[in-house]
Amino acid sequence: MRQELSALRHRIADALMLRSPASRRAAWVLAVVGPAIVVLGLLPFRSTVGLAAFLSGALLAIVVVAVLGGVWPALASAAVAIALGAYFFAPPYDSFSVDRQGDIVAFVGFAIVGAVVGILIDQLAGLAKQQAALRRVATLVATAAAADELFAVVTEEVGQQLPGVERARLARYEPDNSITFVAAWPLPERGFPVGSHWKLDEEDISAVVSRTGRPARIDNFDDRSGPLSANARKLGVRSVVGAPIIVEGRAWGVMIVGSSVRERLPADTEARLSSLTDLLSTAIANAESRSELAESRARIVAAADETRRRIERDLHDGTQQRLVSLAIELRAAEGRVPSDLPATKAAFSRAARGLTDAVEDLQEISRGIHPAILSKGGLKPAIKTLARRSAVAVELDLQVERRLPQQVEVAAYYVVAEALTNVAKYAQASVVHVDVRTGDSVVELAVRDDGMGGADPSRGSGLIGLKDRVEALGGTLTIAGGPGKGTSVVARIPIDGKPVLDAERWRAAQRRS
Amino acid sequence: MIADDDVLLREGLASLLGSSGFDVVGQAGDGVELLTLVRSAMPDVAIVDIRMPPGHATEGLEAARVIREELPDIAIVVLSAHVEVDEAMELLAGGERLGYLLKSRVTDIGEFIDTVERITAGAAVVDPALVRELVSARRRRDPLDVLSPREREVLGLMAEGASNSGIAARIFVSEGTVEKHVRSILGKLDLPESGTDHRRVLAVLKFLEAR
Repeated sequence: MRQELSALRHRIADALMLRSPASRRAAWVLAVVGPAIVVLGLLPFRSTVGLAAFLSGALLAIVVVAVLGGVWPALASAAVAIALGAYFFAPPYDSFSVDRQGDIVAFVGFAIVGAVVGILIDQLAGLAKQQAALRRVATLVATAAAADELFAVVTEEVGQQLPGVERARLARYEPDNSITFVAAWPLPERGFPVGSHWKLDEEDISAVVSRTGRPARIDNFDDRSGPLSANARKLGVRSVVGAPIIVEGRAWGVMIVGSSVRERLPADTEARLSSLTDLLSTAIANAESRSELAESRARIVAAADETRRRIERDLHDGTQQRLVSLAIELRAAEGRVPSDLPATKAAFSRAARGLTDAVEDLQEISRGIHPAILSKGGLKPAIKTLARRSAVAVELDLQVERRLPQQVEVAAYYVVAEALTNVAKYAQASVVHVDVRTGDSVVELAVRDDGMGGADPSRGSGLIGLKDRVEALGGTLTIAGGPGKGTSVVARIPIDGKPVLDAERWRAAQRRS
Repeated sequence: MIADDDVLLREGLASLLGSSGFDVVGQAGDGVELLTLVRSAMPDVAIVDIRMPPGHATEGLEAARVIREELPDIAIVVLSAHVEVDEAMELLAGGERLGYLLKSRVTDIGEFIDTVERITAGAAVVDPALVRELVSARRRRDPLDVLSPREREVLGLMAEGASNSGIAARIFVSEGTVEKHVRSILGKLDLPESGTDHRRVLAVLKFLEAR
């Protein structure tokens, strides 16, 4: 119950602080209607309650107006209230003249209080909005949201938060002295479309920011050259401020806010821009280092796999062939030994047998290093073979109808192989279910057994190595299950290279806060 | 006719077959060479490695298919370092006089020669190692549970491509007993009675693979 009330409170607060155009219109309407309602309500009692009561009621209305629409509607409301008060509640009644000195003082006091209240609430609302915006952006950063979404949200917040700003754009610097626009507000942005590419002229705001590494402003576009400035003029943009996004000491991009009025943007715009763009810098730095880490992990795994494939190929093409040939030669030699040398014949036979056994051993090892069937036939036949050779009965549910990228197939195969091995070694299970589902962007595997449970991920380096391999591809590996309830190993591996969000961990973190 | 890109193995096989009464009429190093030689020499049986240049994947299967289309009277034995059930089924769909064996099987000379002769005479053969892997797969509700141990043994031999008389010789019973077992097995597993041995092999393989 308390949680629902708190959530409701947050939602109301958010809605009120949003200052949408609708709420602003409502504020202006209320600025007039509010005091009017107070008048209607108190009119029958004016001889008893007097001006004070009216002014108190009007103050309440001003507070609401200030919340909905800001300072100006609030001041207007105060003016309306004073007029109505002078007419209806200050003797002589029904005229605008005010006899009593005290009433005049009351009006002055009311005007002051009303203005102060209006301004204070306006500031409060502004701060609340900023907080909400920061929280929203920080959430995106924490959930490692897709870059596009992050850019779009921050640009929108910048556009909505900063006074005087009519449009905002975020651009990324490209190595050839040009920029690409990655986000814009408000949408649809036709002048500088998202994704468009522009060569920088040295007088463009982006160029200035990039050169100096500091915020800059242009208050007048009339005499600027270059395609960007020309386009800006065409769109009716008259003044802009740009702030750099600094990542690892270099200017990664620039946030530009614009207005259609010359010299319109207030002097503190640069500072206010910075607080939001700093968050962006952090997010981008995070994302870049994360993706670098992921890439290097993937490279390491791929290199190891390539080595294994090579070893398997060499073993197969080289060593195994040679051993089989040798065995044949031995057999042929055995055939040539005269029958009156049985011991010699037997010795050859033993040697040939030993060689053949060695070949079979090699085959097993080779299969463990890298199963040839995986490269040739793909996941489905490879997992079917794993299932057949499993010591525990396996129920298969494979929905894999196409070949997947090599590292994905290898990772998936090893997850199933290792999981099945563990089941055979520790679980004492009667059956294992292996489910593989291929979606558009993710392949999901689950190996569930009905054994003893209590799998300890730290025991047996096999499972940890699996986690590394799966995570290097941007996937997730979860091991669950309790004593007596069996164990389940679930892996989700992205097919398209985009990392899989660990939704469970995030939800759990949310609940805790 | 022997086709394998490993010269040592090829020579070894050639001498082995030569001293066992076979007449080796040609040796090829890849699929293209094999087809050329087969068309000109028209051997009774071709022994082909599944993995040959240029791709080192399943060129042998492809060559077998072509030979089977053009010259259906030629028996073909495909050798592979790893036996995979999909490849076995693909090969044996070509009819009789086909064999799919583990390369290491050739070191057991007597059995290998025997198998080649059986294939040339008309049998379809699958390497016992593959059959063993298929039969020993553990299932929770195994359809094979309805079979007696003896019937399971017979089923395995059926999958290897043995004829009824061959099975009888292997497990030391009369051919009549084998026929009884076979009928019982086909009935219990709901497999069709097929006229030819090779269709039987295919049917059993398919059944074992799918369960």
